[in-house]
Amino acid sequence: MTRTILAVCLAGALALAGCADSSGRDGGPVTVVFKHAKLLGPVDPLAPLLAEFAALHPEIRVRAEALPWSSDEQRQFLVINLEGGNPGFDVMMLDCIWVPEFARAGWLLDLTPSLPPGELDAHFPSAAAAARYRGRDWALPWIMNVGLLYYRADLLARHGLRPPDTYDELVAAIRRIRTAERNPRLEGYLWQGKQYEGLVVNVLEGLWAAGTRALDEDGRVFPEPERAEAALRFLRGLITEGLSPAWTTAADEEITRRAFGQGEAVFLRSWPYAADLFERPDSPVRGKVGLAPLPRHATGTTGAGSTGGSHLAVARATRHPEAALILARFLTSERAQRVMTESGAVKPTRPALYREPALVRAFPSLPRIHELTLAGRPRPVTPAYVILSTTLQPELSAALVGVKTPAQAVAHARRRLEFLLEGLGG
Amino acid sequence: MKARAARRTGLLLAAPALALLAAVTAYPALWVLWLSLQRRVPIFGIAEFEGAGNYLFLAADPRFWSATRITLTFTVISVLLELGLGLLVALALAGQRRGRRLALSLLLLAWALPGVVTAKLFEWLYNPAAGLVNYLLLGAQLNWLGDPALALPGLIAADVWRTMPLVALLCYARLLTIPAEIYEAARVDGAGGVAAFLRITLPLCRSILLIALLFRTLDALRAFDLMFILTGGGPAGTTETLTVYAYRSLFQTLHLGLGSAIAVVVFGLVMTVAWGYLRMLRREGLTA
Repeated sequence: MTRTILAVCLAGALALAGCADSSGRDGGPVTVVFKHAKLLGPVDPLAPLLAEFAALHPEIRVRAEALPWSSDEQRQFLVINLEGGNPGFDVMMLDCIWVPEFARAGWLLDLTPSLPPGELDAHFPSAAAAARYRGRDWALPWIMNVGLLYYRADLLARHGLRPPDTYDELVAAIRRIRTAERNPRLEGYLWQGKQYEGLVVNVLEGLWAAGTRALDEDGRVFPEPERAEAALRFLRGLITEGLSPAWTTAADEEITRRAFGQGEAVFLRSWPYAADLFERPDSPVRGKVGLAPLPRHATGTTGAGSTGGSHLAVARATRHPEAALILARFLTSERAQRVMTESGAVKPTRPALYREPALVRAFPSLPRIHELTLAGRPRPVTPAYVILSTTLQPELSAALVGVKTPAQAVAHARRRLEFLLEGLGG
Repeated sequence: MKARAARRTGLLLAAPALALLAAVTAYPALWVLWLSLQRRVPIFGIAEFEGAGNYLFLAADPRFWSATRITLTFTVISVLLELGLGLLVALALAGQRRGRRLALSLLLLAWALPGVVTAKLFEWLYNPAAGLVNYLLLGAQLNWLGDPALALPGLIAADVWRTMPLVALLCYARLLTIPAEIYEAARVDGAGGVAAFLRITLPLCRSILLIALLFRTLDALRAFDLMFILTGGGPAGTTETLTVYAYRSLFQTLHLGLGSAIAVVVFGLVMTVAWGYLRMLRREGLTA
């Protein structure tokens, strides 16, 4: 009896699977679902690219579907659907910090066997590193990002200053310029201190600038707690001494970008997207903004911006792995990345494009951003990154607003992470 | 004897509804309870029974206690303000001669806006440099969402703005049903405005206020969207409610066991409060 029921169920399941999979088998086009976040910018580059893809590959039909607006919701959507085992999409856009985690969970297709050797070498090393986990390639770099320092070149020049190499110089420059300018509305250094991922990025950059890290190879959190505390104390000091505005503790990228763009500050830590906005015809700071690497602390050897960006990955549960990979490779190709860069929405992961004369003419900051990206560092590449980051966020925020001392914040974060990371392995 | 038979028939008739309720609420609730007894991290393929481990961690977890305190503070203050202001607005509405319909639509607008829209609206109102709130405070430089002492009051104000209209409308509807003769009789007996309010209006609105209290408390205990969008639980976790903490554990750190344990605590809290209110309502004769 049970056997009959089982057989009937199996037959039914096979019939269903057959129906669903009928496309492709008999030569008709297969449908690949592509989940992506909306790309912000003056024009949407995706629609023309997908039209081009359709002309090149009539055998593949692409259905592009937008992910929710915020990064948290995108992640929640992807996690719930991938964990369910039948995600309903084939190619997905991932924040590069999720790649090791999703690979560890078994949700991504291992691309290593299908990629020609050296395929990832054409991308920035830090972007390629973010796509790699346990020696395998799980994603293709698509969009590049790096933390950098914007400065008001006009103000620095007027007071005979160069872009700061160290944070001490940055502080000295702010004091000198504000004393001389006598403008009470002029802020010093703007950065992102709201309790969210952006705060973790800013603190990581502070740790690197001080010659230390948040997580070492052995999985130890804050391996040098004194240096971590000093870096936090410096950030808190920026606020208490008025070098950064009090509202820094609620500031995200857009709030700081707008204030700097209105000419209300000397320095800003942000991403490359802001460069083009500052040079728009109606921008009050047009022609007055310079780009520099983030400064270092006296204890560190070099400052580095955090790299970030988006990768394309293929769901392991896909029924059309070949077609999905063809789409992902097309969208991350040099040709497609050039179109996306031209649209002004994003920066490419391929260094070669930063030197292309036509692109450089349209976006004069490209060569500078290229240098800064090369010097950038990825956030810890670990499947536990999101655990690390969301645990750090309230503790770091507490240190910034002065609810906890830096030492308390570091100690509390370590205690929590020990519980959460216990037995997780790499 | 007869009563018992009737009771049995009643139970029988209610059985299908109860079964459906059990399927859609009891089953997931039990599943969450079961999850909360495990150490479960799907990304790392960890799923082991752990007993009370998650609860023991929470008992010693300052972040959990802070979230509990914040949840209760938020609930008590916002609900009291909503009831008080709601009643006042209802009285003002009832006493208004012209423009009632306009006032009602404006009230409904605040209530009908999705939480996300309200949150975005307040993000701009609270902007330290360009926000309307600081402008109205004569250019004060208050850092509403970034100051640990101001963030929670800021969120409470936003919540009151959003949900006070519900209370106001409920009370207004009740006020309309109080016959004018009662007030006239009171005036003849020499009662002033205050006495009429205390002796007539308030007692007659008591039951509707209790129902509003029940709804609002249960909602406030589960508050999520405002803090999630406006502050992300910050600064320094000073606006992280239990639901935000549960969300972060469930969907961000993907510790399903720990997140479920927090959810169970919220569930217990809500059930306790609901039970207390229901007893109160029963004493009022409002429910069977």
